[in-house]
Amino acid sequence: MAFNILKIKTTAFQNISRLRLWKSLGIFFVLIGPGIITSNVDNDAGGITTYSLAGADFGLELLWLLIPITLALIIIQEMCARMGVVSGKGLSDLIRERFGAKITFYLMIVLFFANLGNTVAEFAGVAASMEIFGVSKYIAVPAGAVFVWWLVVKGNYKSVEKAFLVACLFYLSYIISGFMGKPDWSEVRSAVLTPTIRFNYPFLVMAVGIIGTTIAPWMQFYLQSSVVDKGLKVDDYNYTRMDVILGSLTVNIVAFFIILLCAVTLFHSGIKIENAKDAALALEPLAGTYCSLLFAFGLLNASLFAASILPLSAAYTICEAFGWESSLNHKFAEAPQFYGLYFLMIFLGAGIILLPDMPLISIMFYSQVINGVLLPFILIFMLLLINDRRVMGHYTNSLFMNVVAWLTVASLIFLSGAMVFASLI
Amino acid sequence: MARNHEPKIFLFLSQILGKRIFDSKGRSLGKIVDLVANLTEPYPYVTDILLAPRSGRKQMFLPWQRITDVNNKTVAYPVTPDDFREPVLRENEALLKDALLDKQVVDTNGAKVLRVNDLHFLKTLNNLLLVHVDVGFRGLMRRVGLERPLDLFLRWFFDYTLSDQLISWKFIQTLASPDLLRLKVTQNRLARLHPADLADIIEELDIYKRTAVFQSLDVETAAETLEETSSEIQVSLIEDMEPAEASDIIEEMSLSEAADLLGDLPQDRAEDILKEMEDEFAEDVRELLVHHEGKAGGLMTTSFLRFAPSATVGEAMDCIRREAEDMDLIYYIYVVDEEEKLSGVIGLRELLTAPSKTSLGELMHTRVVSVNLDEKKGQIADHFAKYGLLAIPVVDEMNRIKGVIIFKNLLEVVAPQLGQ
Repeated sequence: MAFNILKIKTTAFQNISRLRLWKSLGIFFVLIGPGIITSNVDNDAGGITTYSLAGADFGLELLWLLIPITLALIIIQEMCARMGVVSGKGLSDLIRERFGAKITFYLMIVLFFANLGNTVAEFAGVAASMEIFGVSKYIAVPAGAVFVWWLVVKGNYKSVEKAFLVACLFYLSYIISGFMGKPDWSEVRSAVLTPTIRFNYPFLVMAVGIIGTTIAPWMQFYLQSSVVDKGLKVDDYNYTRMDVILGSLTVNIVAFFIILLCAVTLFHSGIKIENAKDAALALEPLAGTYCSLLFAFGLLNASLFAASILPLSAAYTICEAFGWESSLNHKFAEAPQFYGLYFLMIFLGAGIILLPDMPLISIMFYSQVINGVLLPFILIFMLLLINDRRVMGHYTNSLFMNVVAWLTVASLIFLSGAMVFASLI
Repeated sequence: MARNHEPKIFLFLSQILGKRIFDSKGRSLGKIVDLVANLTEPYPYVTDILLAPRSGRKQMFLPWQRITDVNNKTVAYPVTPDDFREPVLRENEALLKDALLDKQVVDTNGAKVLRVNDLHFLKTLNNLLLVHVDVGFRGLMRRVGLERPLDLFLRWFFDYTLSDQLISWKFIQTLASPDLLRLKVTQNRLARLHPADLADIIEELDIYKRTAVFQSLDVETAAETLEETSSEIQVSLIEDMEPAEASDIIEEMSLSEAADLLGDLPQDRAEDILKEMEDEFAEDVRELLVHHEGKAGGLMTTSFLRFAPSATVGEAMDCIRREAEDMDLIYYIYVVDEEEKLSGVIGLRELLTAPSKTSLGELMHTRVVSVNLDEKKGQIADHFAKYGLLAIPVVDEMNRIKGVIIFKNLLEVVAPQLGQ
């Protein structure tokens, strides 16, 4: 014939995707991220400082507290993750739709300042840790700010998540340095198993401080948004719950080792410290140079990590509530509010540290107070939302879960209320 | 002048909600907590108000027609118990605050997902029409109760008046859940959007709305939209569908896009969909799935035309007319010998201008730019840049033609790296 259309004949082919090989364990590693990242960011500069102080001032006495904290963290974060998976919406989105513009507006303003205060604390952490390595804060803080901006703006969600997961691994440095302190394990065991409570003011303030630094308002927004952003579905929920539980455990294991290290070294030698930098420096003669450097490196990692997440989380949450474009996938001109807020947070956060004579201690102190004021509202909104059938369908809390959750929330509200009250008088 | 100019007043929903209703004797009946509207084209009109009586009694609907404004006091004319009706929505009715306020909608004119800060009504003599949706900052401030302070602040300090950002209802596609169910039935405004814009919007929605919106599209629009979305979202959308429905949509996509999508799906899922497809299309897709995605084999399509050198221009043109609809590429035809070895290429322009009796063997260019099956995307991009072609054929080690890479498909792989 003059012409014909040749069609390529099919060769048998079956191997369409390699996914099956990975199925059970693989899916878990694909789906984890939000829970572990959120929890680890929680061990930020403020957290490490608090844990160091707890260990240095009270030895092993506060270690047991980490067990109830872990449980509370799991209960609260599980609800957030569940809301994200079931509704497909972020927490600020749900709050806006359910409670209206007015409440949301004021809530977002408070959240902005709370996160700003936290960001300042993170850059203070960058400055402190780099000073241990002999770098001036006038170099370290701007470099840190540029790094944070570059990481998030130039990356996409996947690469950023990977970088963050690697940052999570660096928290191992605290566990290693914990072992370097050569603790007496039988003493540790009895300290964990026999709760100590002292009814004196510094002890209670420290206890509340540890809880306050571990369960913060921004986390709920960040966790839920990242669950939504990752496009997790109800079918994946079991993996997400594992992710959250694993995250809550690791955060407290790291906290455990920090308290432990400071207890067996600083507390035993009777050294008083003011902040995490003091802790790192004081460790050098007691536990060796490597231990001290590891501690400082951990602080740097934690501060940079949290300084990347907190401004991002704030910008994201606020834009979501007001319906502004909010995604790293957009260009600056498409999402001016998002990038504007993000820039403002980093600029102010890093800038405040560089100003001479800034009352850093009171800035951090009041940011803790703002967090304490905000937390009850967020927790109550969360409980109302998670029991709303229009949002959650049949994934609302069970009666048991509600009892546990309300009790947890009530005690957290009591404690954060007590902290705010104590700090203001 | 005719007597047809009715007084026209514009009202915001935030100004209406919370207003107290009195009967003609001045006794309070309750507060307005929501408005019921009939969602007709072009503008929905308010039929009833949802009235919340003071003393914890049941909420009721009261017809809008009964209500009038006397000295800024909203009064309902002589009300009898018959005027109230049970708060049950009728066909085509919706509660406006509940369904729209603070919710996300799509502006089909600007192709954006926005959040509703307020609703803007036109009050005529007898009706209250929903004409605009307010998505601006001023609307937000009005809701917060800071509209006046904001205006004064801006005027004093910047001599600036912030205007309302109103979008005509004609361009609004709602996404509230009860309405989503009706997306298919009622006129779907999303269909007006370009598939690329639609894809951006779909990517911005949460996974449930995303699926609902996607499934409301007709097969052809859905296929075009799917081609424009990122691969993760493609997978998530297809996984939510029945294999039969999914295969209908995927068959409408271009061959190489369809193969990429199926390659991203879990294997069993992809198999289910392939089983539902027409055999011919499924075979072509399986053929393409063998190849690695970043290489020539994974980028190419097998949906193109090739001829023996003895075929004439006229015969080739007839064939193009017949097959063009189903082909991914018609701008080049390739000339192959009996062993499928690539011997020449002819552009559509040359074909159109050549006498129809000419044989393709005489007309063809024998110096053909081609790439091997395992050529990497970077090198392929260099070829495109160097030779300025629309498509490059892919050959195996024996120079037998296996497929063609179309520039657009390469661009999708290379483009994400361009902006960085």
